[in-house]
Amino acid sequence: MVTVTASTPAIEVTNLRKTYNRAFRKTGNIALRGMDLSVPRGSAFGLIGPNGAGKTTFIKSILGIVQPTEGTVRVLGGSPEDARIRARIGYLPERLHLPGSWTPTAFLATVGRLKGLPPDAAGHLSLLERVGLADAVGRKIGGYSKGMRQRLGLAAALIGKPELLVLDEPTDGIDPMGRMEVRRILQEEVRRGTTLFLNSHLLAETERVCDRVAILADGRVVREGKLEDLVRGESRWVARFAPGVSVDALGSAGFVPARADGVFHVEAPDATALNAALDRARAAGALLVELRRDGMDLEAVLLGTVSAQAMRAAEVAA
Amino acid sequence: MEKRQKRRVWLVMAALLFVAAAVLMFAGQGEEPAPPPLEVEFPRRMRQPDRERAERRRTQVLPTPVSADSGTVAERPRPRDPLLAALPRGEGKTAVIIEANALRHSPIGGLLMDCLMRDGGKQLKEFREKSGVDPLQDLDRLVITDEGMMLSGNFENARFKELLGERVSADYGEGARVYEAGENSVTRPDGTTVKRRDTSAIATWNNQLLVVGKSPDEVKAAIDRVEGRGPDEPPAISESSTYGEMYGVLSVEMLSRLIPPEQAALAQRLRDVAKNVELHLDASSDVALVAEVRGPSADDVTDLGKSLGAALSLARIKAQAGEDKDLAQLLDFAKVKPDGDSFTLEMAVPLEVIRERLAICRENRQDAEAALEAKEAPREAGVEQAPVPVR
Amino acid sequence: MSPVLGIAGYVLREAASRKFIMAFMVGLTLVLAVVALGMRIDVIDGALAASRLFGQEVRATIQSVDVALRPVYQASAFIVFYGGILFGIVACSDFAPSLMSPGRIEHLLALPIQRWHLLAGTFLGVMTLALGGTLYGTTGLVLIFGVKTGYWTVGPLVAGLMACVGFAAVYAVMLTMATLVRSAALCAAAGFAVLVGGIIAGHRQDIAKAFEEGVSRSLFQAVTLVLPRLSALAEAAGDMAASLPLEVRSLGTLLVGVFVFGLGALVVGFWRFEGKDY
Repeated sequence: MVTVTASTPAIEVTNLRKTYNRAFRKTGNIALRGMDLSVPRGSAFGLIGPNGAGKTTFIKSILGIVQPTEGTVRVLGGSPEDARIRARIGYLPERLHLPGSWTPTAFLATVGRLKGLPPDAAGHLSLLERVGLADAVGRKIGGYSKGMRQRLGLAAALIGKPELLVLDEPTDGIDPMGRMEVRRILQEEVRRGTTLFLNSHLLAETERVCDRVAILADGRVVREGKLEDLVRGESRWVARFAPGVSVDALGSAGFVPARADGVFHVEAPDATALNAALDRARAAGALLVELRRDGMDLEAVLLGTVSAQAMRAAEVAA
Repeated sequence: MEKRQKRRVWLVMAALLFVAAAVLMFAGQGEEPAPPPLEVEFPRRMRQPDRERAERRRTQVLPTPVSADSGTVAERPRPRDPLLAALPRGEGKTAVIIEANALRHSPIGGLLMDCLMRDGGKQLKEFREKSGVDPLQDLDRLVITDEGMMLSGNFENARFKELLGERVSADYGEGARVYEAGENSVTRPDGTTVKRRDTSAIATWNNQLLVVGKSPDEVKAAIDRVEGRGPDEPPAISESSTYGEMYGVLSVEMLSRLIPPEQAALAQRLRDVAKNVELHLDASSDVALVAEVRGPSADDVTDLGKSLGAALSLARIKAQAGEDKDLAQLLDFAKVKPDGDSFTLEMAVPLEVIRERLAICRENRQDAEAALEAKEAPREAGVEQAPVPVR
Repeated sequence: MSPVLGIAGYVLREAASRKFIMAFMVGLTLVLAVVALGMRIDVIDGALAASRLFGQEVRATIQSVDVALRPVYQASAFIVFYGGILFGIVACSDFAPSLMSPGRIEHLLALPIQRWHLLAGTFLGVMTLALGGTLYGTTGLVLIFGVKTGYWTVGPLVAGLMACVGFAAVYAVMLTMATLVRSAALCAAAGFAVLVGGIIAGHRQDIAKAFEEGVSRSLFQAVTLVLPRLSALAEAAGDMAASLPLEVRSLGTLLVGVFVFGLGALVVGFWRFEGKDY
């Protein structure tokens, strides 16, 4: 019996390595090269990275679908090999296959039964309503669109009120309106205390839903932390001035022109330096219209991190 | 490592299930457990008893040859087996030795005896009285060669003069007497006597050897070989090949004559490819035959061996399918083993099979003996009694 | 146990949605109908006067019905046995590989069920399918023969049930093959191989004599000792259908042995599946 405390991470992985060995081949394909990751309970955690980084392998490792070559995996305080642990996880795989000739209620009933839950037709119906499939309850799954199938998959993952939701590309194929709905459902779940673990190529979605993010590249966690910390720039500010400003004058004040008209960057490590720079600019006759921190979006963070990683790897190799 | 343990459990369980399945299916189908394979001893080399036997037979010591330059002491010649010395010399000759005495004491010998004595031993008794030789006691070996036949044994009580007295005879060499061609009286089974002209020549040597040949020169040549006047070539059978109850070399010509006319193609092939055949037969329990065929061209010999092996396999399958149990049993042990420029053919007949085949002889013999006794008994007792058949 | 039944239900539902199975059922019904209509057997006072198949006389001598029909029943038992297993191999070769296809297997493995439940459930589902189809087809045959001749025999039914046991052994190997390579074709090939091996194993004593005494014969006997004696089962089915005495010592033991072989093959699949990455 594992004592679950609030501080036990939902997912804890130490030095996780996975090499796929092919028969009759000496060297295997190294998917994970020693991953360390800790996903706190109740967080909405996003995993991003380029193709081939090992994201899917990681997700499979924490669900027991793939056996790690080395390292430890703890999920909800136990091993993913334990069926009781898996009973508390809801999983939506990428490209979920749904039997075309079944009705959605039959599918949910089968999943519920396999999860060891008592039959709950009413509960399944309300789940279908929640994911926005109330109108299509009577139709066979074969007639569903891609978006509808994804929603059904999400509903199946939500059966049994899991403590951990592992979603692999949950909004794949769903239109923007639908994505909003899904986001809302996921945020609801997080508010309820469910831990959310998300893998998505739609970085904008990840930004909107997750509060913590890990960047996976080449089988390793390269950066990890709170989303706001990752996207925040360090000491760069963006200032927009009214037209008619002298670029040279602003330049001597420390303002560097950015791409757009009237938009300038300035480096200021603290508030004093920032205000001093602004004073200088205004003294030169510039009229400040807008001021904000020069934050990056997640895409920029990802690109920056991955290219830095690649450069480091090249240096090591050279 | 829980997963590994689990996997190990599955593997062990699978193994146990397969074992259980094998046992259940075996019992359910009702197969007889395969009889233990008959261990047949094939005569492949000299064994200790063979060596001892060979040593016992080295009874002849040739006189030391005096060297041209006197003064040097020549090596004392080693004792040798006179029968081996008498064998034809050189390659391509036929010489097959039958160890009559050993055969007589073997199980198959007993069976053959039953057949010989089918008539209750009457003919044997007559021969013994007439010749003074008891074939069952005094005969050691019988040799068949291209030229004729040789017998070795103890012929001290042999009444040669009476048997062969009508022929012209003369002493030859140191211990031999040669009887030339002459007339023989032959007693037919119906009691009549007939005179027949016999062109063969016979020689006796030291009451030990009897040589029968086509002409006096041939038997004289044999005696020369025994007494050390023969060619220097080694005898057709060397001492190291004297194992088994029957052994020797067959010339290819002789062998091909033994092959039935239906297999003429095989006979021809044999003549083309093989040089000679060395064979050994062991009858100490089951009857096992080993024949080694040698030839100058290794490829041809190997091909012949393969053809023979294939023919045997085919014959075996046919015999199995055709329910010819005897032939199938015989061929079960037939094997061809190629070996460079020679190949070995092995065949065996289990003793049981021979026993079954010759069982009739035993019955006949027992009946005949009982009949004989019954005939004599009432003569002694003077009372007429009906013969009681004994099974 | 419930997850096994759950997976079995999953498989059966899947089968129900496959047109192939429906096509077979329809086809089988057609065959039964053709046999029923095409075969005319005149029964006169319990003796068989003449039987016609498609208008041509099959038997000319007058014999009592059961004796005359013996060869027919024997033949039908063989056809049911081997035909059934062959059809099963072809029809069911795809179940396991499609269950292990990407998008499906990950979902199933993430559920709180043991891996062996998946295989056991698939096996159970397919066997239920096989049994159902067998009962349908053989009951139909029994009915046709009974109605036609007035002589009722459960021969075809018994042959069908024995074929199911044989198919259990064959399918277990096919399922295990799917854990090695996810390919319906290879699974079917494995099934055929076991069928052929089983036919040879049933005659092993006779075939062993064709081998030269020594290593090859011992090897043959060792290998066939473990294989399921399918041809022996088929012959027993034929003997039973024709009311002839059985040649095997104990049919029950033999059946259990064949089934246990199937279990052994299945457990090998468990072993393999337990350690496999998907």
